[in-house]
Amino acid sequence: MEPPERYGRETAGFETAEKIILRWDSTVSEEAREKMIFEGDRCEVDRYLQAVDEIQRSISSTTISDDDQTKVNSAIQIAMARLEDEFRNILLVHIHAFDIDSLLADLRSSSCSRTNSGRESSDFLEEDHLEQDETPTSAAAAAAVRDGGGSGSGIRDVLKHMDSSTSAVCSYRSTSSIREVDLIPEETIEDLRSIAERMIAAGYLRECIQVYGSVRKSAVDLNFKRLNVEKLSIGDIQRLEWDALETKIRRWIRAAKVCVRILFASEKRLCEQIFDGIGTAIDDACFMETVKGPAIQLFNFAEAISISRRSPEKLFKILDLHDALVELLPDIEVVFDSKSSDSIRVQAAEILSRLAEAARGILSEFENAVLREPSKVPVPGGTIHPLTRYVMNYISLISDYKQTLNELIMSKPSTGSRYSSDPSTPDMDFSDLEGKTPLALHLIWIIVILQFNLEGKSKHYKDTSLEHLFMMNNVHYIVQKVKGSPELREMIGDDYLKKMTGKFRQAATSYQRATWVKVLYCLRDEGLHVSGGFSSGVSKSALRERFKSFNAMFEEVHRTQATWLIPDSQLREELRISISEKLIPAYRSFLGRFRSHIESVKHPENYIKYSVEDLETSVLDFFEGYPVSQHLRRRSQ
Amino acid sequence: MPATDCQGSSAATFTNFGRSILSLRRDQVHSMDTIHPDGASSHELELESFQKNVAERISGLSSGPDEILSLSWVQKLLDLFVISQEEFRMILFNNKSLLHRAPMDRLIAEYFERSVKALDVCNAIRDGIEQMRQWQKLIEIVLIALDNQRTFCDGQFRRAKKALIDLAISMLDEKDSASALNHRNRSFGRNNNNSSSRDGSSTHHRSLGHYRSLSWSVSRSWSAARQLQAIGNNLAAPKGNEIMATNGLAVVVYTMNSVLLFVMWALVAAIPCQDRGLQVHFYIPRQFNWAGPLLSLHEKILEESKKRDRKNACGLLREIYQIEKGARLMNELSDSVQFPLTEEKETEVRQRVQELSKVCEALKVGLDPLERQVREVFHKIVRSRTEGLDSLGKGHGSD
Repeated sequence: MEPPERYGRETAGFETAEKIILRWDSTVSEEAREKMIFEGDRCEVDRYLQAVDEIQRSISSTTISDDDQTKVNSAIQIAMARLEDEFRNILLVHIHAFDIDSLLADLRSSSCSRTNSGRESSDFLEEDHLEQDETPTSAAAAAAVRDGGGSGSGIRDVLKHMDSSTSAVCSYRSTSSIREVDLIPEETIEDLRSIAERMIAAGYLRECIQVYGSVRKSAVDLNFKRLNVEKLSIGDIQRLEWDALETKIRRWIRAAKVCVRILFASEKRLCEQIFDGIGTAIDDACFMETVKGPAIQLFNFAEAISISRRSPEKLFKILDLHDALVELLPDIEVVFDSKSSDSIRVQAAEILSRLAEAARGILSEFENAVLREPSKVPVPGGTIHPLTRYVMNYISLISDYKQTLNELIMSKPSTGSRYSSDPSTPDMDFSDLEGKTPLALHLIWIIVILQFNLEGKSKHYKDTSLEHLFMMNNVHYIVQKVKGSPELREMIGDDYLKKMTGKFRQAATSYQRATWVKVLYCLRDEGLHVSGGFSSGVSKSALRERFKSFNAMFEEVHRTQATWLIPDSQLREELRISISEKLIPAYRSFLGRFRSHIESVKHPENYIKYSVEDLETSVLDFFEGYPVSQHLRRRSQ
Repeated sequence: MPATDCQGSSAATFTNFGRSILSLRRDQVHSMDTIHPDGASSHELELESFQKNVAERISGLSSGPDEILSLSWVQKLLDLFVISQEEFRMILFNNKSLLHRAPMDRLIAEYFERSVKALDVCNAIRDGIEQMRQWQKLIEIVLIALDNQRTFCDGQFRRAKKALIDLAISMLDEKDSASALNHRNRSFGRNNNNSSSRDGSSTHHRSLGHYRSLSWSVSRSWSAARQLQAIGNNLAAPKGNEIMATNGLAVVVYTMNSVLLFVMWALVAAIPCQDRGLQVHFYIPRQFNWAGPLLSLHEKILEESKKRDRKNACGLLREIYQIEKGARLMNELSDSVQFPLTEEKETEVRQRVQELSKVCEALKVGLDPLERQVREVFHKIVRSRTEGLDSLGKGHGSD
């Protein structure tokens, strides 16, 4: 019996197709091994693809014999192996097609971009600006440098943070979104798609994913290298110096944004372009095959930071990292939206909550550190203690991050019950601070423990006057620092500021009492009048003694207190005025009453050494922080 | 030699371990402990039951239904760690007041240092699991090619062969990768003109090798062997005075340290990771009731690693062995087949396919939970350390 005509046509079709397939079997022909179909004549490409389709059709045909079945199977296998090689080759050729450097350069130099999605963002521009501008000269940072130029490495640390983080606050807060680019030119995608379609139709899905994943993964790896995304273990990161780590964190933030928003997003789109509609969730499978490893590598860094040892200087970089991730999270959710990628989403969320926890932990560690800071050597001249500068710079940085920290700090400071009966910690009553955010309470609490610690330190001064002067200086500094920052002032509140103002005024009063009461005591009337006689007998010897002891005391006070320091000129001025207001009238009237008695003795200049004007000028030497070169000069002689 | 020194001195200390270690300092027990009828305080009972539980769990690992070093066994191993770590955490929590006293503060800080090192092992193991997923996918290709086929033909074998070669390359241990291609040529080259060079293009090899190096998320210089050594460094049984000074807690910390080291060591033994190495020495005085089971398990795993066919394995996991063996046999078989297949050959093929399909299924079912468990171990370690460091920090504050 003759086969039906239809069958004959099919056989003929199959045989032609098989010939084409076999011609390109690289296991038999040298030429087939050397050349790639898709790099050659487009007609040959079409012929080959049609041949594959033809053979594919024969498989589904029910009318072929076992023998033919074997032939068809064999042809399909050869064709699929060929297509796999072609697929790999096309992908390999385009592994460098997307140049992240030029993209970043593009973004830097102008706003025109190769974006296809139409979703625009200015974020990358800002970051690059930041990257170029390694030492920002924002007003805040400059102010910090002026203000903090004292001693102690702690301060330097904070200043550095001030440098990097004040600028970070403005740029990392920007909103932004995904920016997809063409990783592979569109006409090439058509080729890849036509191969993928056939491989998948023939049941070679797994091979297709395998090849795709392996090549694209190397492409991602190349871009990782360009972006300086390093492979670091947790151990590596723990061994790094904080300085080095800070730089790495800054780079990571930038790299992570590029990775999630450009790199991963574009990889995802490429998967969709090639595989969408061919089968179910194949694009997802390919995407995860490509980026799961890199994504884990990327996030491992942030994870390592989130579990690193907590210390105060890390707070602001941890917050930068936190803010960057918060901002990225919506994009991470978009890019990794499939079920198969939920481990990535989960890890990102975990890191975020660990960073938040770390920030809280560091804050409480900082409170502990402020409370326990052990230095006992008194600061010469009673000026501002490095701890005060450090802590105040630190909390004004905290206030720069108040938006984030207000979300993270949810509980009040752990004072009260835990510390209540403990003499080594201060008391604090929160009842009159109602309506304050927990963060504000923490800041107030830090100021409270700072003052508490400073009071402890003040006891190490041998001179009570200096002890008071030291407290006055430091509390005044705290007040000035709070007033200088609108955020800080708002959080601390005027009520508490008023309290602190009262405190340093009180310290000023205490100082005056400690120093001047005994000086002024020399100028009293009692004890000078000879008792028992008639009218006004004045004991000359007592008067001489008085003048001598007044001179000695004043000279001593002048000599020592000139070396003391009130760095704030206004405060210095006020205190001098206040001293003069008491000293000068008392001396003037004392002179007025007793000058005549002294002038009658020998060498009156030994007793009245100073004129009123002398004293007025010499008060101006006080609190300048310099030793006076000679003894008090007698200007009027 | 410090390690043996410690062993010597601690052996003397623990001559009658059991209830006894704690009675060493029974006289010094503070009145804060509730005294139980049998004379032991609740504190002592807590510490003793921890020792006992750990011993039982380790014994359970060698006597349980799961074959040693199988996927389900590794899962049990991780369970052991997670539960023990949880109990350990509770003990620390219940004894907060003791933690910041010397030498406890040092001992606990050392434990946290070690446990952080274990985090890198967890990450490396996670990479290893990912790599095993790749193998699973390659086996799936073999299965698709050869499973459920009415008849066998050349094309199906060629397809399977390609996947098998990729699998063999991907499974070669890092150290051998230089000789990898030679080896490959030798064993697969015979049928060169037939089918095996179908994967032929050299770019393919390059990308495969490259792909492998991409699968580790840690730097090239990272070494699991060195990491294990770092975890085990200076790990010595506590001395009598340390036990007394810590109210027995030093023993608990030592136990947890040993569990940590052992679990990490066994993970590295089982799962592929960068620069594996098992040369960690366990000096554990036999007086600890968990020492026996732990050391015998250690011995068993070491023996396993010395078996001739496992020496160069990229992991001692049962399933890896089965993949290796199954893939090798299948490979040899595919080199020798002639079409049409004899009935005998056909049966053999079907049997090999069956074996591979079984191990493939085991990976499919086991790898995801294993990865989650490794993450859980990671989380537990981080959490316990954070809590511990917090309470140590605060302890200082109120001192």
